[in-house]
Amino acid sequence: MTRKQKRLSVIAGALAFLGAATALTFYALGQKASYFYMPGDLQTATLEPGQRIRLGGLVENGSIVRGQGTQVEFGVTDSEKAVKVRYTGILPDLFREGQGVITEGSFGSDGEFVADSVLAKHDENYMPKEVADSMKAKGIWQETTQ
Amino acid sequence: MLFWVIAAVLTLGASLAVLLPLTRQAEGEADNSHDLEVYRDQLGEVDKDAARGLIAPSDADLARAEIARRIIKFDAEDAPRSKGGSQLASRLVGVVAVLAIPVLSWSVYTVIGSPDVPSQPLSARLSQKPADTSIDELIARAEAHLVANPSDGRGWDVLAPVYLRMGRADDAITAYRNAIRIEGTTAAREAGLGEAIAGSSGGIVTADARMAFEASLKLEPANPKARYFLALALAQEGKLAEAAIVWRQLSDSLPPDSPWRPVTEQAVAQAEGRTAPANEMAGGPGPNQGDIDAAASMSAGDRTAMIEGMVATLDEKLRQNPRDPEGWLRLVRSYQVLGKTDLAQDALGRAYAALGRDSEDGRKLTELAGSLGLKVTE
Amino acid sequence: MVEMGHFALILALALSLVQSLVPLYGAHKGDARLMAVGGPVTVTGFAMIALSFAVLTMAYVQSDFSLVNVWENSHSLKPMIYKITGTWGNHEGSMLLWVLILSFFGALVAAFGGNLPATLRANVLAVQGWVGTAFLLFILITSNPFARLVPAPIEGKDLNPILQDMGLAIHPPLLYLGYVGFSVCFSFAVAALIEGRIDAAWARWVRPWTLAAWVFLTGGIAMGSYWAYYELGWGGFWFWDPVENASFMPWLAGTALLHSAIVMEKRSALKIWTLLLAILTFSLSLLGTFLVRSGVLTSVHAFASDPSRGVFILCILTLFIGGSLALFALRASTLTAGGIFHPISREGALVLNNLFLTTATATVLIGTLYPLVVEALFGEKISVGEPFFNLTFGPLMIPLLVVVPFGPLLAWKRGDVTAVAQRLMFAFGAALLVVLVTYLFIDGASVFAALGAGLAAWLVLGALTDLALKAGIGNVAPKVALSRFLGLPRSVFGTSLAHLGLGLTLLGIVGVLSFQKEAILVMKPGQVLEISGHQLRFNGLSPMRGPNFTEDQGRFSLLGANGQPFAEIVSSKRFYPVRQMPTTEAGIKTMGLSQLYVSLGDETGDGSVVVRVWWKPLVTLIWGGTLVMMLGGFVSLLDRRLRVGAPARRKSGQAKPSPVAA
Repeated sequence: MTRKQKRLSVIAGALAFLGAATALTFYALGQKASYFYMPGDLQTATLEPGQRIRLGGLVENGSIVRGQGTQVEFGVTDSEKAVKVRYTGILPDLFREGQGVITEGSFGSDGEFVADSVLAKHDENYMPKEVADSMKAKGIWQETTQ
Repeated sequence: MLFWVIAAVLTLGASLAVLLPLTRQAEGEADNSHDLEVYRDQLGEVDKDAARGLIAPSDADLARAEIARRIIKFDAEDAPRSKGGSQLASRLVGVVAVLAIPVLSWSVYTVIGSPDVPSQPLSARLSQKPADTSIDELIARAEAHLVANPSDGRGWDVLAPVYLRMGRADDAITAYRNAIRIEGTTAAREAGLGEAIAGSSGGIVTADARMAFEASLKLEPANPKARYFLALALAQEGKLAEAAIVWRQLSDSLPPDSPWRPVTEQAVAQAEGRTAPANEMAGGPGPNQGDIDAAASMSAGDRTAMIEGMVATLDEKLRQNPRDPEGWLRLVRSYQVLGKTDLAQDALGRAYAALGRDSEDGRKLTELAGSLGLKVTE
Repeated sequence: MVEMGHFALILALALSLVQSLVPLYGAHKGDARLMAVGGPVTVTGFAMIALSFAVLTMAYVQSDFSLVNVWENSHSLKPMIYKITGTWGNHEGSMLLWVLILSFFGALVAAFGGNLPATLRANVLAVQGWVGTAFLLFILITSNPFARLVPAPIEGKDLNPILQDMGLAIHPPLLYLGYVGFSVCFSFAVAALIEGRIDAAWARWVRPWTLAAWVFLTGGIAMGSYWAYYELGWGGFWFWDPVENASFMPWLAGTALLHSAIVMEKRSALKIWTLLLAILTFSLSLLGTFLVRSGVLTSVHAFASDPSRGVFILCILTLFIGGSLALFALRASTLTAGGIFHPISREGALVLNNLFLTTATATVLIGTLYPLVVEALFGEKISVGEPFFNLTFGPLMIPLLVVVPFGPLLAWKRGDVTAVAQRLMFAFGAALLVVLVTYLFIDGASVFAALGAGLAAWLVLGALTDLALKAGIGNVAPKVALSRFLGLPRSVFGTSLAHLGLGLTLLGIVGVLSFQKEAILVMKPGQVLEISGHQLRFNGLSPMRGPNFTEDQGRFSLLGANGQPFAEIVSSKRFYPVRQMPTTEAGIKTMGLSQLYVSLGDETGDGSVVVRVWWKPLVTLIWGGTLVMMLGGFVSLLDRRLRVGAPARRKSGQAKPSPVAA
């Protein structure tokens, strides 16, 4: 092989590698990215059972029910519609009624959302960005500061 | 002044950092010497490693040969790149650069700086003499004390009415509750708590507030504040006649110099005029029920000074912004309550001038003036 | 004198402008005097920013609430140490720290750059000046820490309680030292492009800077990870959170740069690629700053953010990344390409390393930015989390880790892979043994866990093999071997330590992911929980008071075999009244390399409390490994030859079998 051919073969190898990596990346994005929904969006969304999504909204007032042991149920609402969420574990410090939260998980066969993680940011004014944007878009929530 | 001196020194220093290198004769070292130095270092390293036996002599020779090749190749390149610009242009750039430092910094600072605002370290502010400190600072001191000693009931007791006077009704509720919890219940604390609760709900005497007033009356059946507010509760429910009866009884039972007397009399007048008394609890500008009441717990001199100060503030505000009918009503009433009829009369005149006698607001003023016994002259 | 700090900051901006333009013009015209302005101006600028920073720190220490920034982020009752660290625990202060470090590095170049060609030095300082000017403008226009508040409030709003922590006190400065350290590499790269040539002195300078920045960035990321681990109370050490990714991308690219800089230094090859990597690495640092500061991404630990700042940083980002890449496209062809080498050689191995690392960087970049793009284009909100990165980043890292031990053993220019494989037989056999032992003798070990442990052992043993072979252990008399070992260049130790540390970190990750035990339950006082052979007794909750918080402390005892307590664990829920904010303080007991992690949940009313307990085997190795990596970088930095700058023994290649060279 001449020097040029060598160089070309190395470059071709690198490109093939990059191509494979790119394909993998986009395959993974298609499979593993989880979509964000507000309770009101769920009517129009087509979700397969078990599909992982992020469900965001406000914790419905008076909806927190502590079950046996560490199981908790609460409603997530966007003031159009509320969805019941079941979660086992320790809720974040800033989890309160009326606070914005994002839960991640999937719908069980009984139509209840089973979350495996509940996010409430560590900031006293927390409103997760997605939740805030959606609620602003729907005109439900206005930023209080300016 | 000190600031400007320091600023000038800093600017001078910064300008010198630009100026000095420009005045110095720069050493005219050829640029490529640095690269040669690197290669020399490399040769030296090879020699040292060979001497230590870390690389074989033959390898060392190969390495030397490669470095030598680079040196030769380097010499072949057109290393020096001095283009030699015009002396004039360079000098101009230098002058602009030196001038840019003071001009830029001072002009930008003039726009965004606040040279007149001194530093205000907290410890220095708190150690000022009480006389020089603002109410805010006094409160801050008390708060700091209470954070450290939250079980100091006297502290809460002192702070509670102050909060109330400042319109911080929610803080006042907490303070009264703490005082009651630690120091025990008294008529004054319960009545204060009731007033704070009413204040926090916009002047409405809520069920909670009523409970506090009733608790107060149980301890001291004649407590004027509790009686006044319970009557107010009646009035707010629309039972004006009953309210008027309680107020009248209260007014009659009060000594002539009681601060509650004018307030109660005014309430009676309004109740009998068939309008629900405008409640001033919500913390609007000007002295309100809470202020007068808070003042009741102060010495006579302080009290007068405080109330007069507040009225003067309101007066000043109205001089600057006369289009405030509510404010005028307050001012006229306040002067009359304070017994300064001439000032009330004067304020009424100015109010008419500002609002117009025949306007809706003007009629309200006339009504008020009538109820206060002021002259409504042309 | 608060205003003095403000004025000094403005002066620094003026100086920075001069620094950006005058040396550049001087270098262009070949005017030595104008070029000489660069040094003093840079050093003075640093002094001004340092003064400004000192003034701000003083304002925090003295609780001067006439500064908006102090009022918003401090409180008179805050412990002194957090008053000081609070200076950079907020947006404005941290940006000031950013430029302080930038100007510090600039001053270092000015002070120790005497052996650089004058034009290169002038251009480097000018490029540093541009970055400095941009960020000083950013600070003064959108995030001025010296904005005043009149009248001054009497009490501040307190620092976000989760930031009141030693971990977060150290994390940002380290991270910034890393981010900003890469700015020097960037400036060198752009200066080389401006001049249209890469000097030998250029190569000599870039590697130590890369190394230093990399050491700091490694420390910063590890510190941030440990902080998230113990402070957020979730027991996780890495969340693939955008903010974490933001610091991880420059690290990956910086690691690639570190390796390609070796090739450039030793072999004068890969010059153009190294230059591009230097630009990309700093670009990713800027991107990281943008992502964290603008709040465009949702993150568990983002600071409060402000869109106008985001737009400003985006402009800086576009200007610098776009500008430098355009310059690269324009000038790269004029640079002379370096030496050539056989694909199977040390250079080849390092190229492979670069290929994997840059690709991995790209996947992280895509995963981080994809939600933004999707939202902008389709208005759909998605999140890309751990599953994505496991599927993409993992497959890229595993082959890279497998080949790591080969690299240092291959010869320059043309290597013999079979010979190297033979030398690594011992390490390979031992790693295989680890796989088998793990799989057969540890309960609950999956195939993946066993392979992971084996890979970690492979890395550790491979690194040790490298040292042993270079010292000639087994080939020469022990005494000679010892003296050879001690005489090895420090950069060889550095390489070995860094690779060894990588193996340790991997072992920690495998340990936690595969063998972690978790229990969530409601515990009554007196109740005993058994987890992984440890008896944990809950003794009850007791209220406590801190300087600026109240807390409920849950007290736990670890019971020995005889039922007697031998260690206490305290886990608490704190409440910070000023911010009305609760936090969780996990209780952590380190036993050997493993940790027992106890986190409190809500009380149930009757004195019982929800408790989450993890047994985390080997977890400390995750951060211990990064410390070893940092040590490796540090040792390498101390290499005498790096200091004098000669690019080491280049036994110039010609098929040189002995692998002694660093």
